[in-house]
Amino acid sequence: MSDNHHNEHDEHIEHDHMNIPKYIGVFAILVVGTILTYVTAQIDLDGIFVGANTLLALLIAFSKMTCVMLFFMHVYWSPKLIWMSAVASFFWLAIMFSYTMQDYLTRGLGVFGQ
Amino acid sequence: MSTHTHDHSHHRGLQHQFDNMGQQEESVSIGMWLFLAQEIMFFGGMFTAYLVYRSRFPMAFAAGSNHLDVVMGFVNTLVLIVSSLTMALTVYYAQKSNRTMQVVMIVLTMIFGATFLGVKAVEYTDKYNHGLVPVSGLNKRIPADEHAAPGGHDAKPEPGSPAVAEEHSNPRGEFQWHEYEIIEHTIAKQKADPNGHYLTAAEKVGYMSDPATLTLDKDKFRDKVRIFYFIYFMMTGLHALHMIIGLGLMLWLGWKAFKGTFNADYYMPVEMSGLYWHFVDIVWIFLFPLLYLLGRHFLHELGK
Repeated sequence: MSDNHHNEHDEHIEHDHMNIPKYIGVFAILVVGTILTYVTAQIDLDGIFVGANTLLALLIAFSKMTCVMLFFMHVYWSPKLIWMSAVASFFWLAIMFSYTMQDYLTRGLGVFGQ
Repeated sequence: MSTHTHDHSHHRGLQHQFDNMGQQEESVSIGMWLFLAQEIMFFGGMFTAYLVYRSRFPMAFAAGSNHLDVVMGFVNTLVLIVSSLTMALTVYYAQKSNRTMQVVMIVLTMIFGATFLGVKAVEYTDKYNHGLVPVSGLNKRIPADEHAAPGGHDAKPEPGSPAVAEEHSNPRGEFQWHEYEIIEHTIAKQKADPNGHYLTAAEKVGYMSDPATLTLDKDKFRDKVRIFYFIYFMMTGLHALHMIIGLGLMLWLGWKAFKGTFNADYYMPVEMSGLYWHFVDIVWIFLFPLLYLLGRHFLHELGK
C-alpha cells in the first residue's frame, strides 16, 4: 500500500493508446463495412448456398461490432474482468438463442407428412 | 481543505470508498459493463423473437423487409457511426483536458443523434400513411380505390348495388398488405420442384388455406407480414427510446463539460456515457441488416 513515490498518473487506467488518426481509421472501417453490407445484400448469393446473404450480413455486423467494442469502447486495453463481462453477456445471449431454438425447431406443426 | 494525512493527493472526483482513482475507474467500468450486459439481454429477448419468427416465416419477413426504405436505413446507419466517432473523440478530448473540443464533440453527437431520430420519425410517418402499423386504429384510413387494379372488375360498384360499402380499405385503421408477388413466386417454384426446400414447413401451414395443394390464403400471409412489422416497431422503437435517453445523457454531459468538470484526471462520466452511446450504435449495426437488408436479394428473382 506504500505509495510514497506513486506518480499520480499511474493511478489511472492507461488511456494513451488511441489518437485521432486511429479513431478516424476505425471509423473508416465501419463506413466501409456499412457500404459492403448494403451492396452485398442486393446481390443474390443463394447460388453459393442458401442463406449466404444472411451469413455474410451477420459476419460484417459482427466485425463492425468488434471494431466498436475494441477501439471505441476501449475494451482492447481494459482489465480482464471487463473482457469477461463483455464476452459473458454474449455467452448468455447464445444460451437464450440456442435453448429457444431447440424448442421451436423441434415442435410439431399438427400436420403430418409435410 | 482535506484533513487527511495521506501521502497522495485527493482528486475532486474520488469517492471516499475507493483508495485511488484507478480503483474507482475500474469499479465504475465494471458496473457499466454489467449494466450493458443486462441491456444486451433486454434487446436479446426481441432478437430471439426475430430469430424464431424469421426462421418460421422467411418469405413473409422478406416481403415486409423489402417494403422498408433501405436508403433511409443506410443513411441512418452512417449517421450513427459518425455520432459514435464524435462520441469517441469526446472521450479523447476529455482525457486531453480540452474543454472546448469536448463541448463541440458533444454538440455534434447530439446533432447526429437528433438527425437519426428525425429520419426515424419520417419512416414511422410513412408506415402510418401506408397502413403498415400492426395495431388496428393506429393507421391512416386509405381510400378503397387506391389499390384496385385500374379498369379491373372491382374498380366500380355495380349500378344499383348498395352505395359503396367501404369508403376505405381499412375503415378502422387496420394493418394493410397488398403485395403477394414474392410468396406467389416462391409457391410456383415449390410446385415446380416438390422436393425442393423453398418454403419452410411452418410456411406451408401458415400461409395456405390448403397445405397439400399449396393454395395461398392472403389473409394468413398478411398476418405473418404483420408479425414482421410488430417486431420492426418494437425493436426500432426500443432503440429509439435508447437514443432519446442518450440525448438526455448528452445534455447533462454537455453541461458538465461546459462547466469544465472533466479533465485528464477525472473523465469517467464521459467514458461511461460513451459506452452507452456505442452500445446503442452496436444495436443498430445489427438492426439495419436484420430488418432492412435480409430478403432484399429475393427481388432479383422477381426481375426488380
